[in-house]
Amino acid sequence: MIKNPTFNAPFVNRRDFLTQTTLASLGMMAASLPGTAWSIDGDVLRIRTYSDVKSLDPARMLSGSEGLMANAMFLNLVQFRPGDSWEWDLDAAEHFEQLDETHYAFRLRPGIQFTNGFGEMTAEDVKYSLERIVDPAMKSPNAGDMGSLSHVEVTGRYSGVLVLHSPYAAFIPIGLCASTGGIQSKKALESVGGEFAIEPPACSGPYRFVSWQAQRKTILERNPEWPGPPAAFREIHIHPLTDVKAGELAYEAGALECTQTSIESVEVFRQEMPPASRLNVISSLRYYWVGMNLEHPKLADIRVRQAVQYGIDVEAVIEAAWFGLATPATGIIAPGLIGHREKADVPLAGDREKARRLLAEAGVELPLKLTLSLPAQALEMTAGQVIQWSLAKIGIELDLDPQDNATLITMGMESAGDRWKDVQLHLQSFYMLGDPYYATEWFIGEQVGVWNWERFRSQEFDDLHHLAMGLNDNGERDRIYQHMQHLMEQSGCYRFLAHSVESLLSRTWLQPAYRADGYPMYRGFKLSGPDQV
Amino acid sequence: MLRFISRRLGISILIVVLAVSLMFGMIHMIPGDPTSVILGPRATPELRAEMNQRMGLDKPLAVQLGHFLGKVARGDLGEDPFSRRPVAEIVFEQLPFTLMLVFTAIGAATLLGVPLGCFSAIRRGSWLDRVSAVMSVAFIAIPSFVVALYALLLLSVRWRWFPAIGAGESGDIADQVHHLVLPAIALGLGWVGYIARLVRSSMLEVMEENHVRTARAFGLPEHVVIGRYALRIAILPTVTILGLGIGTMLSGALFAEIVFSRPGIGKLLHEAVMTRNYPVVMGSVLVTTVFFVVSTLVSDILNAILDPRLRGAGDQR
Repeated sequence: MIKNPTFNAPFVNRRDFLTQTTLASLGMMAASLPGTAWSIDGDVLRIRTYSDVKSLDPARMLSGSEGLMANAMFLNLVQFRPGDSWEWDLDAAEHFEQLDETHYAFRLRPGIQFTNGFGEMTAEDVKYSLERIVDPAMKSPNAGDMGSLSHVEVTGRYSGVLVLHSPYAAFIPIGLCASTGGIQSKKALESVGGEFAIEPPACSGPYRFVSWQAQRKTILERNPEWPGPPAAFREIHIHPLTDVKAGELAYEAGALECTQTSIESVEVFRQEMPPASRLNVISSLRYYWVGMNLEHPKLADIRVRQAVQYGIDVEAVIEAAWFGLATPATGIIAPGLIGHREKADVPLAGDREKARRLLAEAGVELPLKLTLSLPAQALEMTAGQVIQWSLAKIGIELDLDPQDNATLITMGMESAGDRWKDVQLHLQSFYMLGDPYYATEWFIGEQVGVWNWERFRSQEFDDLHHLAMGLNDNGERDRIYQHMQHLMEQSGCYRFLAHSVESLLSRTWLQPAYRADGYPMYRGFKLSGPDQV
Repeated sequence: MLRFISRRLGISILIVVLAVSLMFGMIHMIPGDPTSVILGPRATPELRAEMNQRMGLDKPLAVQLGHFLGKVARGDLGEDPFSRRPVAEIVFEQLPFTLMLVFTAIGAATLLGVPLGCFSAIRRGSWLDRVSAVMSVAFIAIPSFVVALYALLLLSVRWRWFPAIGAGESGDIADQVHHLVLPAIALGLGWVGYIARLVRSSMLEVMEENHVRTARAFGLPEHVVIGRYALRIAILPTVTILGLGIGTMLSGALFAEIVFSRPGIGKLLHEAVMTRNYPVVMGSVLVTTVFFVVSTLVSDILNAILDPRLRGAGDQR
């Protein structure tokens, strides 16, 4: 008898193979079910940001999401305090004072270490970090944030004086507290040729950089060399999800612990909140307005522009586009900031009778056909439709011209061809930082054909802008900025709409930290105590 | 065969150059100033001018195109003006995610569609054939983005069986496969139906041909007749369609990458267009065009291997 040579070998027959592969498949599936590999690890915080990292170098970073990471990794001399106000706290500095209009003295806390063995933070690092931003050779697009910074005088290992060419009232909130003011290690930056793109050569904050995977995530981890109280999370995973709805779904699927939500989802979540979640709705500094190009033949008569101002029902716009959540804008400066106006000149609901009268006085033949250019986004499109409806009531036929952001942002720029001549009405929004200077600077005469698409020119406005920038008296600045917004409104070029809101969804076990405008501050995120859950 | 391949290769290179030149012209015609997006609102006019110069945008379009093609010929796809990283590095970092998705989707669709089509042809007119027909048409009719959204909402958000975002941890193959399931279903489901219908109709046609009847007359077993004589010919149109299908899937991968927040070339391209990042747009377009042309070329070569009559088709004209 010939024995089957494979009989005693470890042979897998078809039945065994099927059984084993089925079991293996079931095992793999089980491993992937929630509760095993997907269980939430309290040590890891997973957050959404709206864009991927392009640069984390304070001299080069442009987007807010990069600033979020910088805030966790780098110390500034001073830093905004989390909460409702725009007050600031000492950060790397243990002492900071304004000596006069152009001099600010600082003294660093001793013992702050840079990671990767680059040693202790000294005044030389502060000098290097701030001066490189304004150095013309650096060609930093963020140099404007530092205003009139001239140089930094080092007076000791930890102390120095920041010297400005001329008074610059926004120096602390815009220059020092923002991400551009992050202090870098001189030795570390020099070791990589003076600048970096993504991976910082050294960090100094409660978290340090671990890795960046393009379009996937950036990982920060607790910095063991941080001399302060240890950071709350072992790691922070920051996922770049461009679409806000994708962030909401990822949150609901358990893939994130914190995400921004769209305005239209606020009510949905309020009605049916995901388990163990909370929603924070915070006033933002983003302001929306309808601008009118006063050099367009159809809008050259101020009475026509004023008719548009009085024809738009802002209350209806806010109700429809923001579901009533946004604050009606009385100008470009949000509540809580120096220069905010309690009331606009044009009533919120408008005045249709007055608008019709103005059109009649201007001798306009009705219906007047106008075009409103606006971003092709849900919120703006809804606002545009309500404006269209409002203006139809006074005999203006409005065409909506939705455009993608990159097309829209160059529409009024003279450098991008002659399209600025065709701009009639545009629905626009700008973001600002915690000083009114950041809001008014886009509307001065120098900005005509750059960001000032209304082509609004007022010598008085320009003079006041420059004057207010150098004043330290907040009361006086408040009065000036209020008057400047009055000048804008009187030109007929602007119908102020709303100051928007930020809506943030997070787990109840997480205690997020936000700046006054809803901008997350990762380094302040903590685990909630049992009483807060 | 060598002549066939070299002729097809020449045509492929021409297609790539034409497609890329066309795309180059189109992206520059879209309104929008890349320097405003790249440098942000506070950049000075001098900085903008310098960036324009650095990106070569101050030169006529034909000169820009010439420079681009010249650099491509030297293997240089340029530099991303945002991050200052080489475009080739950025594109090839993302390409594997898209390829993995496309090949998984098309592979799964083929593995399901071909047997389904064969089975329907063999059991023509049976209730199983009818069920298969209804299912195939349903798969084709449901738009892929609807499949993607429902798969996401049900299988990720509601039941949490599959991850909602990302492509899995690097080095963890099981995790990557887990992240691949839903996007691949969304992308490939329609193709299951399409391939099944195509294979069924080809099989029905081929099974009536003389060589199949002859094989049966020789008493060969039915599985040999179908597998070796009928399917080998009937699969030809499917192979051609798969070549084109890979190209279609490359564009279809865009929505899957956006819905499931997966990294990939589609998402990269979308964001680059939105920010007018011309170098990354062109790098991505070039690589995807090459990939599409190569996949078509491979399907032509496969066809020629499977059907020797095709090899000399060009010479006989």
